[in-house]
Amino acid sequence: MSSRGPLGEAAKTLTRAWTTADPLVSVSDLKVWFPVSSGILQRTIAHVHAVDGVDLEIKTGETVGLVGESGCGKSTLGRAAIRLLEPTAGKILFKGDDITHLRGERLRALRRDMAMIFQDPYASLDPRQTVGDIVGEPIDIHHLAKGKERQDRIREMLRVVGLNPRFVDRYPHEFSGGQRQRVGIARALAVEPSFIVCDEPISALDVSIQAQIINLLERLQSKFNLTYLFIAHDLSVVKHISNRIAVMYLGKIMEVAGGTQLYKRPRHPYTGSLLSAIPIPDPVVETRRERLILQGDVASPVNPPSGCRFRTRCPRAREHCAEEVPPLEEYGDEHKAACFYPLD
Amino acid sequence: MTQALLEVQDLHTVFATKEGTVKAVDGVSFELNPGETLGIVGESGCGKSVTALSIMRLQRPGKIVGGKVMFKGQDLTKVTEDEMRDIRGREMAMIFQDPMTSLNPVFRTGWQVAEPLRLHHGWDSKKALTSAVQMLGRVGIPSAAERARDYPHQFSGGMRQRVMIAMGLTTTPAVLIADEPTTALDVTIQAQILDLLRHVNREFGTATILITHNLGVVAGMCKRVIVMYAGRVVEAGPTMDVFAHPKHPYTWSLLRSIPRLDAERHEPLKPIEGLPPSLVDLPSGCAFHPRCAFKVERCSRDVPALQPVGDTQLSACWVTQAGTELKGA
Amino acid sequence: MIGQSRVAELELPGAAVEGASTRPAQSYWNESWERLRANRIGMAAGVLIVILALIAIAAPLFSLAVTHFQPQTIDLGATFAKPGSAHLLGTDELGRDTVTRLIYGGRVTLGVAFLTVAVSLTVGAGVGMLAGYYGGWLDDILMRLVDTVLAIPAIFLFILMSILFRPTPISLALIIASVGWGNVARLVRGEVLSVKQRDFILATRSIGARDVRMMVRHLLPNVLPVLIVAASLGVGQIILIEAALDFLGLGIQPPTASWGNMLTNAESYFFHSFWLVIFPGVTIFITVLASNIFGNAIRDAFDPRLK
Repeated sequence: MSSRGPLGEAAKTLTRAWTTADPLVSVSDLKVWFPVSSGILQRTIAHVHAVDGVDLEIKTGETVGLVGESGCGKSTLGRAAIRLLEPTAGKILFKGDDITHLRGERLRALRRDMAMIFQDPYASLDPRQTVGDIVGEPIDIHHLAKGKERQDRIREMLRVVGLNPRFVDRYPHEFSGGQRQRVGIARALAVEPSFIVCDEPISALDVSIQAQIINLLERLQSKFNLTYLFIAHDLSVVKHISNRIAVMYLGKIMEVAGGTQLYKRPRHPYTGSLLSAIPIPDPVVETRRERLILQGDVASPVNPPSGCRFRTRCPRAREHCAEEVPPLEEYGDEHKAACFYPLD
Repeated sequence: MTQALLEVQDLHTVFATKEGTVKAVDGVSFELNPGETLGIVGESGCGKSVTALSIMRLQRPGKIVGGKVMFKGQDLTKVTEDEMRDIRGREMAMIFQDPMTSLNPVFRTGWQVAEPLRLHHGWDSKKALTSAVQMLGRVGIPSAAERARDYPHQFSGGMRQRVMIAMGLTTTPAVLIADEPTTALDVTIQAQILDLLRHVNREFGTATILITHNLGVVAGMCKRVIVMYAGRVVEAGPTMDVFAHPKHPYTWSLLRSIPRLDAERHEPLKPIEGLPPSLVDLPSGCAFHPRCAFKVERCSRDVPALQPVGDTQLSACWVTQAGTELKGA
Repeated sequence: MIGQSRVAELELPGAAVEGASTRPAQSYWNESWERLRANRIGMAAGVLIVILALIAIAAPLFSLAVTHFQPQTIDLGATFAKPGSAHLLGTDELGRDTVTRLIYGGRVTLGVAFLTVAVSLTVGAGVGMLAGYYGGWLDDILMRLVDTVLAIPAIFLFILMSILFRPTPISLALIIASVGWGNVARLVRGEVLSVKQRDFILATRSIGARDVRMMVRHLLPNVLPVLIVAASLGVGQIILIEAALDFLGLGIQPPTASWGNMLTNAESYFFHSFWLVIFPGVTIFITVLASNIFGNAIRDAFDPRLK
């Protein structure tokens, strides 16, 4: 696997060669800001701090879940991690190579090693292409196969994701949402990537279809030794599929921990209220649950609060929280949280 | 036994499409008791929203082709459009998934919230607005008097949903129908809105029909639930019982297919295989039978009726009606 | 191995799967074609345009085998002949056969119209695509250029051109196209900007596609319906513009026949030789009407919701 490192010898930042024991993806102090322009001259007057100083490591073969509410920057982080967006600052290492500012052919070569699965199975497939065209495109782009071999490969990909290979000549609109999502997954797999960003891959699907896709993603992971960054707003799904979970709020990671650990012993007040807000499909549990209901709305990412970004809604916030940004601190066993007054 | 507030009897609503007639609601019956919160749960296309819209007579371009909706002694499917318009504002209110499209962007929010009062109670603008501002405050909008002067786009999604709820409540209706009211919202905002709906239910005594695809929301909100699949009610009963021992294989498998936050260890989910059926081309017999793990020969032939199974539940399933327990790996 | 373990899931029982497996594949183009075919008036208009184009292409053949006249043959013994057996639609002040001149005029007029549309579409689509896809400074420059072009008073340009050189069908087409591409560019740019927002464009980028592939394989097919509609509606407009220029003497010059310049002198003879006005006029009217009807039919076929 490491033999297909896309970058050759250049841009190595590790003094020794990268091994699968090192993080596959390592993001440090990553910032992605979008300009807000105004007036007839379209002058930039401010920035949306979509991702604002994130550190995250993803190990080979694991699934890291990324949760947070809309606008917290989780999708932006996912897209920047595979360089579909240009980072404003910070560093992204992939297999030990610095890919932060990769361009041109080297960036294209990198695309063979990482892929993305999208939320909306309707918008993410070109309506003018057949399923065969869609799944075959990455094969063509990277010159992986031609002629009959290409056809076989497309059919194999469809079979792998649980679609009938007879469907190669059909168009996306002839399929249901779940089936389209399978086509999108086949396209992502066609380049044989090692890292896939799944951006809300099931939230647009019917409840009874969601489990099919989750199971498919899990099976594919073990079959092809994939590493996932799984982005979702639904913490129950994320907890099910992830080894570790990162909780984001307004462009920053508030807490990272293993799923069970996070659920049993959240340290950050935001995680605590997020967990408490998730309905559990069991009326016995629901009637007994204590509800921590957060007040207010998420603050603006254009002008985020000073200090801790969550302080404007935090029931535990004190003066100090406005003055200083709490760093991510260790709570043992890969559990980190960024809070001055954590839950115990 | 209390008298039901709203009684839906054998309701049928159809849509004419290019591919043929779609029976979006195909013989749905249920009752809503005063003050209760009833959940209607199902996937997209199961007919839950069309049922709600049919109750409000807002189902167009669909057509109600059969059944009754009894409310305060009259059949809502028979009353004139004028009478219905009056009932809609005064007696029944509805809130939708997307509060942005339900509010008119060019009018100030307070004016819109006050509209039912001007329309149905004939109040003057000033009196109506005062009452509207009061209501905005009661649904948790901070500095309501100032916010009433804002336009809908100046509100966040959760706040807009609060505005919609306030608008629905101004005339203190007997029935509030909430169609996926939190689906477009973030979880912490969903929690706020659900809390508000609980509060409204308690304080105003408004009977609520809560339509959702989220089983967790039903579990936390509703004493009673009905489960819909392909235009029909497949199971109904007290939420506790339906969740503890579902009597329809669809409910049973749905509950097993969703990941639970409080799951102790990682077990593979047990998905329902296959796809929800196309309403133009429903399977014969029970619409769920092609995906059902318990099906018997009869299921593909005859449509099962909703019958009591067990002490408190109703189920439309040949298997459970014959006394078989639903269990499996 | 992989395939076998998944077989159980392949035979999904849901109706959507079965439907998809029994029906022939329905591409967007197929479906649009089916809708277009179902539109009888639209199809009739389309067929009429094709027939007119074929007649124009085969003009020499017609003049030899059907009308037996040449468009520029002057017969001073048969001036202002009434429509009849010798001259089907009569003759003009120089005794030239009206049918033959209409057929040859169609060659010029339709030729100019199709060429104009082809040029303005190609240039406009290219510019619009580049501006919309790349954005930034390129977009700024190209769109300012479009603004400039659209600000040029067209009639002024036409007069200037006819003074500078004698318009041929090709130069005339280029002149009309030189002001026509701007609108196409705007249209395409807008469409590209909206298609660009869709996730499949990002998805295609995520698998490493180059810019050319993005534009040719993904953006162009999604913009094409708009272009086709613009083209079919454009033909009628160009015919009207061309006819007006010819009539004013700014376009195709006599003795070359065009539908427009056939009308130039006709007005003075209207009272005794009405056919010199009626037939070219009716021909233009029918052609433009057919082109508009066909254009609308195509638009409805591509997007039934717009109807």
